Formats: sequence, structure tokens, C-alpha cells
Amino acid sequence: MRFRRSDPHTLAGAYALDALTPADRAAFERHLGACEDCRHEAASLRAAAARLGQAATAPPPSWLRQQVLAKAAQTRQLPPPAGLRDSLAPAADGPGGAPAGRPGLSRRGLAWPAAPRLAVAMAGTCLLIALGFGGLVLHAQHRLTLEQAHSAEIAAVMSAPDATMMTARAAAGGRATVVMSHADHAMVLTTARLPALPAGKRYEVWLMGPGGVRPAGMLPPAHRGMTAPVVVSGLAATNMVGVTVESAAGARHPTTAPVLMLHLPS
Amino acid sequence: MTEGLTGGRPQASPGGDLAALIGRVARGDEAAFAALYDRTSGAVFGLVRRVVRDPAQSEEVTQEVLLEIWRTASRFDPHRGSATTWLMTLAHRRAVDRVRSAKAAADREVRATAANPDYDVVAEEVEARLDAQRVRRCLDSLTELQRESVTLAYYGGYTHREVAGLLGVALGTVKTRMRDGLIRLRDCLGEQP
Repeated sequence: MRFRRSDPHTLAGAYALDALTPADRAAFERHLGACEDCRHEAASLRAAAARLGQAATAPPPSWLRQQVLAKAAQTRQLPPPAGLRDSLAPAADGPGGAPAGRPGLSRRGLAWPAAPRLAVAMAGTCLLIALGFGGLVLHAQHRLTLEQAHSAEIAAVMSAPDATMMTARAAAGGRATVVMSHADHAMVLTTARLPALPAGKRYEVWLMGPGGVRPAGMLPPAHRGMTAPVVVSGLAATNMVGVTVESAAGARHPTTAPVLMLHLPS
Repeated sequence: MTEGLTGGRPQASPGGDLAALIGRVARGDEAAFAALYDRTSGAVFGLVRRVVRDPAQSEEVTQEVLLEIWRTASRFDPHRGSATTWLMTLAHRRAVDRVRSAKAAADREVRATAANPDYDVVAEEVEARLDAQRVRRCLDSLTELQRESVTLAYYGGYTHREVAGLLGVALGTVKTRMRDGLIRLRDCLGEQP
């Protein structure tokens, strides 16, 4: 059952319990951006759920402590969110290009060389792009905290030790960029210059794997040709990401041929 | 409200400012992170193990959560909620992500047919601490359907659709029970964000 716009509040409990699928969660978080009462309620329900969590407290094995502390010492931290939103212009072009010459859909994303981590400079650039997108959709003050949470999720994926980036070009124009972390079971998806759609149509994202095709949410409306980063979490046994044109309410199964597809590294 | 989790090592100062500790961690203070580990690893591990079940995976996910806390400490905003809620949210999301991944799928098919609702297992495993007792008493004040919806989702890691299937009720009913149950739990515990 798709998230119903007429009845958003009933999902607050399931949301606080982490009982929503990625698509439903993304839809509900978009609703939260527009409803301050809902944000307040969701926060209080999360606090109640956290008490359920604490009730299960149990000491971990004693050897875990040294292992975690040693690993932390080797792990980079995210810098604090600086006041970058207003001053950033998003980069005009992402890094890399698409494979040339193939007609029709781009069926193979350009995988970066299999480095164990993104280069520091590249990660920094991507983070700036992400924060820049966050700035693009920042209209009113009340949306600031949701965008901060969103940016935190984005930044977490991009700074994961196994983060890998891929881009793919759509035959009709435009490109998508994905940064994914297997360890986080999550990816961040942005698009640039996809063709504008008629009223009532939106781009929908799909995850495809051996288990079939499942919806992963709608791309937000583009600003200056770019869509704000979308985080897709709970990835499991997914090896392709696709984007199709669907009606604005979204579809449960793709009804049109993909405008672009990315192969995810295994 | 308990600010400051216990478990792992005995605590001399029960309260203390967990948020301030996270602030120091955000600036790279490794001693602060060690103190944070001592204060919170029990809560993280206990919840993760309760959800993930498998001992080896529980240890892995616990480490992932604690490293995520280290990595993203600068993103904690004390104005948006308590440090405890932030930590438990990270832990719960990672635990649920793990059980929903392909690795754990086979185990879940077995667990889904188990006779005991998750609430009974909570009663067995929960430490006899004042806070845990308060949680248990407040859970008792929920209707059976509210309690089962909440505990299957939270401790079982099931989606709302899966809970509806397990309980044999309509999806809309489950959504409402989850929300009503959490509201009642929140009010019983006197919880603020």
C-alpha cells in the first residue's frame, strides 16, 4: 500500500518504530518537512521508542571495547555542519563522464576505480555538492532542521569507508550520480538535467535485484535542473538502480521503460 | 527521564551530561569516546542483540553503531532531542537494517512462526532495573494489540506490513495501534523529545 497523502499522521508510530519501508519512510519524511506538529509528535514518539530500547540493556563482551576504540582512532569524523548553505553554489558538473557511443539507455554506470575509499578531495567535493543541494531547497526557517537531518544522513553515506560513486547518463539527456556504502546498506542519489516532465508526472526510483523490482521513492522536483539528494537505505541484494517516469503519486511497478539505469558494484 | 544510559561498567555519577560528552567526542576527544563507550555500550549492545539475535552479528552491528556515533557525533543537535534518543535511534536503525538484509532473511522466516509474541521475551531478558520495570509497567497499560504491534515492530524489526501479516489484522489497524500505543507509552513514561 502506498503512503496516502490524505492520511499522513497515522504513519507517525510506525516511523518512530523504524517499521516503514524505505519508500514509505522517504514519503513520510517529506511530509515531516511541511508539518511542524508532525515533527514534534514524531520526536516525542521516538523518545518513547528509545525508552523501549534502553529496557533491553545488556553488557557487551569485554573484548569489544578495545576493538571499537582502536577502530575509532582510525576512523575519520564528519566535520560540524558549517554555515555553508548560503554561500555554496552547486558544482556545474559532477566528476566523470558516461560511456560514449551506445545508443538507447545507458545500461552500465561508470564505476570508479575500485579504490577502498573515495579520495579525500573527492569526498569533500561531493559533500559540498550535497550541502549545496540542501541550500537549494531551503525556503523557510522551519525546514532547516529537517534538512540538517537529511544532510547528516547524506554525509554519513558519503564518508563511509567503503563509499563508492557511480554516474550514468540518460539517453534523453541528464545524468544521475549515486554514492553507495555497502556497510551502511544505503546510497545517495542525485540527478542533473533530466528532461522536465509534464504536469502530473514525476521520476520514480527503483531498486532491482534477484528478488525483483521494488520502488524506492520519487525524485523531488528539480531546482535549476538538479534534484536534491535522496537517501535510499535498507539496500539488500540490490544490483541495479533505475529511474522511470510515472504519475506523480508513484507506481508499485514500473509502467514505462527506464530513462536511466545504474549497475551497483557488488 | 533517564539521561545517561547504563550498562557495560558501573557508573559513579548516574546522570552527567551525555550531550556534553558527545560534544567532546565530536571534536575528536578519544578519552571522551572511551567514556561514552562505557556509559552507552550496554544500551546499544542490549538493544542490538535483542533485535539481531545472532551473537556474531550483534557484536558487528554494535561496533558499527558505536563507530557511527564516533563518526557523526558532530551532527548531534541537542535542540532536536536528547542524546539518549539520538543514540538509541542510531542503534535501532542499524539493527533493523541488519535484520532486513539478505543475511538474516532465513532466520526471520523461522522466527516469524514462533508462538510467543515478542513481549514475553522482553519480560525474560530485561534487566531488573527501575527504568526497565517502569517500561514494562507502561507496556502493560497498552491494549494487547497495541503492545504486540509496538513490540513486534521495535524488538522484532518487522515492517508495519509484516506486523499486520503476523497479527492477522488490517494494515490501517496496525498503523493506528502503533501510533496509539506509542502515544500511551510516551505519556505513561512522561517522555519528552
